[in-house]
Amino acid sequence: MSLLSDLVETSLDPGYAHAHSQGVPPRRSRVLMLVTLLVAGAMLAIAAVTDTRDQPAQARERAALIDQVKGLREENEQLRRQLAEVEGDVEKLQAQALGKDSTPAAELSRQAAQTAAAAVTGPGVVVTVDDSTTLDGADAEVLDQDLRILVNGLWLAGAEAIAINGHRLSARTAIRGAGRAITVDYTSLTRPYVVEAIGNPKALPGRLTANSGGRWWVYLKQNFGMRYDITTSTSITLQADPGLGVRKARPHP
Amino acid sequence: MIAVVGLALGILLGLVLEPTLPAFLAPYLPIMIIAALDALFGAARAYLEGTFADRVFVVSFFSNVLIAALIVWIGDQIGVGGQLSTGVVVVLGIRIFNNAAAIRRAILHA
Repeated sequence: MSLLSDLVETSLDPGYAHAHSQGVPPRRSRVLMLVTLLVAGAMLAIAAVTDTRDQPAQARERAALIDQVKGLREENEQLRRQLAEVEGDVEKLQAQALGKDSTPAAELSRQAAQTAAAAVTGPGVVVTVDDSTTLDGADAEVLDQDLRILVNGLWLAGAEAIAINGHRLSARTAIRGAGRAITVDYTSLTRPYVVEAIGNPKALPGRLTANSGGRWWVYLKQNFGMRYDITTSTSITLQADPGLGVRKARPHP
Repeated sequence: MIAVVGLALGILLGLVLEPTLPAFLAPYLPIMIIAALDALFGAARAYLEGTFADRVFVVSFFSNVLIAALIVWIGDQIGVGGQLSTGVVVVLGIRIFNNAAAIRRAILHA
């Protein structure tokens, strides 16, 4: 406390009292005084000027960065579309080259469907999850980990193909958190998160609820008010995951 | 009178000339301004209490500004610049509030 009381008692520079008691005349050098005041005023002005001068520059920088992000995101989308087109061409050419020999063609399309290299269609379930509408804060938001648990639960329940917000999951798909966004295949998702899974629509919901993925989400729904809806669908179409080609890996002899 | 005129002239000079601060001084301008404000409020209080002496004001102004900048500069060199500038702001802030309260009492008698 003595520190604080010291501070309060010596708020006024002790020099003033000392000078007063010694009888120093109050005004001796007006020039020095004026110079000091000029410096003080100029300091305030410089601070104000530099502050207002830097603001537009910072705003411009920020706008430029946002533009750059948007541009790159669009470019990414375009490249994805281009990739899907080229892969479609490759498939056609493959079919042509294989000609009437149907056994390899059937094997190829079966494997493509399994590895998410081709679009697939079939019955299944649609799980829609979202942040809580009743609770605020980080606790009530969907995390990348929650989505991973849900997807693993669906695989465990017998799902044959899964997509999140239209991004097909393959063996090479990463579900990650990047800042406050969740990314799938390095593309950020927007809420709500719609997880479509192809599989037996009669068995999938029950098995999901019975395994750890479903239990985790029931817990989130009951305790944090998060959205967790399962509906069955007779026909779901999932697009292929583009860019699945391998460059380094070779079939083991 | 000279105080108000000097301050206003200084602000005007700064606005008109727009001098650019040397880059190495720029991070210390805010703390220097706090120190300058402390000296100004102290001088105003001393003036109202009848103990003002311009030599004390001039010396305390420049030494306050220099020491405040120096403390933060040393802090920056040893990696505790943020904490030290917080300390300086707290100490000077308490002094400014106290002096402002004394000025208020002297002017408004309240």
